[in-house]
Amino acid sequence: MNNLKNILKKELREMFRDTKSLAMMLIIPIMIPLLIFGMSALFESQINMPVTSYNKIGFSYELSDEEKDLASLMNIDVVEMSEDELINDYRDGLVDLYVTKEDNKYILNGEANETSSYASSLVETYFTAYKEALQADYLENNNVDSSEVLDIITIEKNLTEKDNFYASYITTYAFLFIIMAITISATYPSTDTTAGEKERGTLETLLTFPIKSQEIIIGKYLSVSLSSIITGIISLILMIVSLALVNDIFEIYKGVDLMLPTSGIIFSLVAIISYSLLISGLCIAIASKCKTFKEAQSALTPLTFISFFPSMIAFMIDIESSALLSLIPFLNFTLLFEDILAGSVNILHLSLMVISSIIVIVIVLTVIIKQYKSEKVLFAN
Amino acid sequence: MLKVYNVKKKFIKYQEKGQKKEFFANDGISFEAHEGEILGILGPNGAGKTTLLRMIAGILEPTEGFIDFDGMNYKQNELTIKSNLAYLSGNTKVYKTISAYELLKMCCDIYNVSKVEAEKRIKEISNSLEMESFLYNRIENLSTGQTQRVNIARCLIHDPKYYIFDEATSGLDIISSQIILDFIKKERNRGKIVLYSTHYMEEAENICDRVIMINKGVIIKTGTPEEIRKYTKTTNLRDAFFALIGGAKGE
Repeated sequence: MNNLKNILKKELREMFRDTKSLAMMLIIPIMIPLLIFGMSALFESQINMPVTSYNKIGFSYELSDEEKDLASLMNIDVVEMSEDELINDYRDGLVDLYVTKEDNKYILNGEANETSSYASSLVETYFTAYKEALQADYLENNNVDSSEVLDIITIEKNLTEKDNFYASYITTYAFLFIIMAITISATYPSTDTTAGEKERGTLETLLTFPIKSQEIIIGKYLSVSLSSIITGIISLILMIVSLALVNDIFEIYKGVDLMLPTSGIIFSLVAIISYSLLISGLCIAIASKCKTFKEAQSALTPLTFISFFPSMIAFMIDIESSALLSLIPFLNFTLLFEDILAGSVNILHLSLMVISSIIVIVIVLTVIIKQYKSEKVLFAN
Repeated sequence: MLKVYNVKKKFIKYQEKGQKKEFFANDGISFEAHEGEILGILGPNGAGKTTLLRMIAGILEPTEGFIDFDGMNYKQNELTIKSNLAYLSGNTKVYKTISAYELLKMCCDIYNVSKVEAEKRIKEISNSLEMESFLYNRIENLSTGQTQRVNIARCLIHDPKYYIFDEATSGLDIISSQIILDFIKKERNRGKIVLYSTHYMEEAENICDRVIMINKGVIIKTGTPEEIRKYTKTTNLRDAFFALIGGAKGE
């Protein structure tokens, strides 16, 4: 136990004095506020995009007075000219979109970019209104009360707070970044403390000390885990602070509470600690089989992708947590984060996630301890 | 007393087209080393010296044979043996981001040296190895010679009974080499068992009480430098070695 403490002390001292290790611990967490503020500003700018920046619409046919009035009502700046001239004007950026006509078919022409998309949305609204006006005229001319036909159903929006798209998007990606930060934070020190130590020649010194191989490996494992946990906690704090700030600053979150409840913060900490312990073990298991730092970094690259992949999939296709899925490493952390965001954490699922992680960690540590007794691993060259 | 009996170490060599070939880096090595003796282990590069010393230091495990330290072996008494042993090679590196003082303090903790005793020993050792001027500097900022002195201090800190030196003066300047050689003689005079491996035959001739000559994993001759010179009718160990292997081509 005393030697375990000595190894841990030595590893932590080395880690905290190495600028690269410190940078890896902090670089991704620092990106979390940037992501939250950046994405919020982007969303808000898109919503508040002034209509004058996308309302120059070209028409290749002559508009009636009624059409012009309607266009004016919708802030459309009408440009009438031939199709060839409109093509040139669109290319030169003088119009944001142009409309051509074939009998009763109106074609919206433009490229799939942000301005055209807004312009297209504006023109579609214009044509919907124009179509309704034509339909109303037709019905009135045939002595039918147009409101009875056209307003046969009504639509009312009643979206609850959790349906706020922007809030959901931001919090989901912030959690993904926490997973990414922990993974990257575990990768560098685990490479440095195993393959790096072999490459630098200090492992030979360590092996001559009266220390058991399991004390060496557990000391290394705990130091890497601690580094990952610190990164995870820093990331969580930065995420909470950033969410609190953007909640007040940006209009898009009006009426939405982005703050995690206390229970959510505690569950997040459980997930962060479990994930850190798991990923640190896997990183050390892989890196300790490599001869050089470079080789270990290459070997760990697939693990980095594997760790993100289930999270990306789960966030994208909205998988619901279950007892079985809570046993699957990597996926279970994502599902727990989703449940935390939804405010509905199932304690059984949480417990299964912790148990599953402990089992994997024990297996991984057993393998690493065996590896550290193997000459093939220690003196592969 | 240290006894090495019929020690063999098998390795697998990977050849072209993924073919494997087994070979013995040490093939039946036996010898004894006594208290108050510097035993030189001599041989060219690739003779099997490092493998042998790594097995004696407990870093590698013999494929066959046994190594006995005053009735103890690694299978039953690994930590006790390692607590009484110091291993230093030309390739042995120390942690660069810590200071010499921190390294020695860490070693004291590992070897269970009490805090008061640790401070006393660090002071004594840094004084005798002339390390006071750089004791608190990070090892990454030290010269090769200074780093090797820190390495020696690391070996001394727990006052071990057995010393294993593998090409310990390799790449060092004349002053740093002399500090190591003086230290080794001093420890021998204190009754310690010293195994000293080198491919510098002249150095071995000056320092070793007895030598074993190794070539291609086997002992080709054991004796005092004088006995070997007499036996081979040569004037130095270098010529003696060539005489034993049948000339330079025999190597």
